[in-house]
Amino acid sequence: MNDTPTRFDHRPDPVLGAALRHALEPGDQAAFVARVVAGFDVARTAAAPTWEVLAGWAGRGIAAATVAALLAGLLLARSPRASVGVEEAFASTAEGGATTALLTGLRPPDASVVFATLVER
Amino acid sequence: MPADPQPPGTGARIPDGDEARLVARTLAGDRAAFGTLVERYAAQARRVARAVLGDPDDADDAAQDGLLSALVKLAQYDPRRPFGPWLMRIVANAATDRRRRRTVRWTEQLDPGLAGGGPRPDADAERAALGERLRAALKQLTPRRRMAVVLFDVEGYAHGEIAEILGIPEGTVRSEVFHARRQLRALLQDWKEA
Repeated sequence: MNDTPTRFDHRPDPVLGAALRHALEPGDQAAFVARVVAGFDVARTAAAPTWEVLAGWAGRGIAAATVAALLAGLLLARSPRASVGVEEAFASTAEGGATTALLTGLRPPDASVVFATLVER
Repeated sequence: MPADPQPPGTGARIPDGDEARLVARTLAGDRAAFGTLVERYAAQARRVARAVLGDPDDADDAAQDGLLSALVKLAQYDPRRPFGPWLMRIVANAATDRRRRRTVRWTEQLDPGLAGGGPRPDADAERAALGERLRAALKQLTPRRRMAVVLFDVEGYAHGEIAEILGIPEGTVRSEVFHARRQLRALLQDWKEA
């Protein structure tokens, strides 16, 4: 060690440095490095700005939404909607009468049915 | 894997080499490049953290926090500047934060015989005893003084770089190193005279 230190001593003290270095020497280096490197992926995820994370998901999100929309459209197009005519509705509405049948029937009513309802009244 | 690129006792800092290239590769997602940076600076980071915290386990946790925090902030690193001081500042902050958060364990208790200038141990145990004594002597210094002397005399950083690492004026660094050396020498005086 340098026995006469001054404020202007700008050189490292090799003896003190070596002693301190020995005193602070860490343990298993390989295990420590492995432990740090194991956190690489998590830290990189934390490093990415939020908009980048969202952008990373955007492509897959849009693709998934497109597929879902196509499937929904396909299912709707292929589903057989019950094509109930006014006649069937009229027959099934025992109490509602012709007005209900006209409102619930999906096909345009036959003129004779409309006439029949008027006669009925 | 090179355990430590700096030979003991030289006080020579890790030379700035291809860090900028390794940083660029790490930013591109290259885990091996990050591993190389960690291998290069792990021992230094652990020693600096231990200078602050004392306990080797606490120090390793802080060094790990610092290295991973540096990875998170890596895009902010200016490759035109030396990598070591930038990294050590983050590690020193991580260690200081950890120290503030909880009471730190100092596992090294100075042996009463050593503290009182008792009989010098056998030559075989001398080196280990000196290490124990130095760790206990370091405990007597403030954390900033410990970091200053370790960064200067052990890691070989210049006063200006230490000022950057610790976020204090260069003149204060010179003063901290001076006082740390004087205190350590006083604490170890009886060891020399034994």
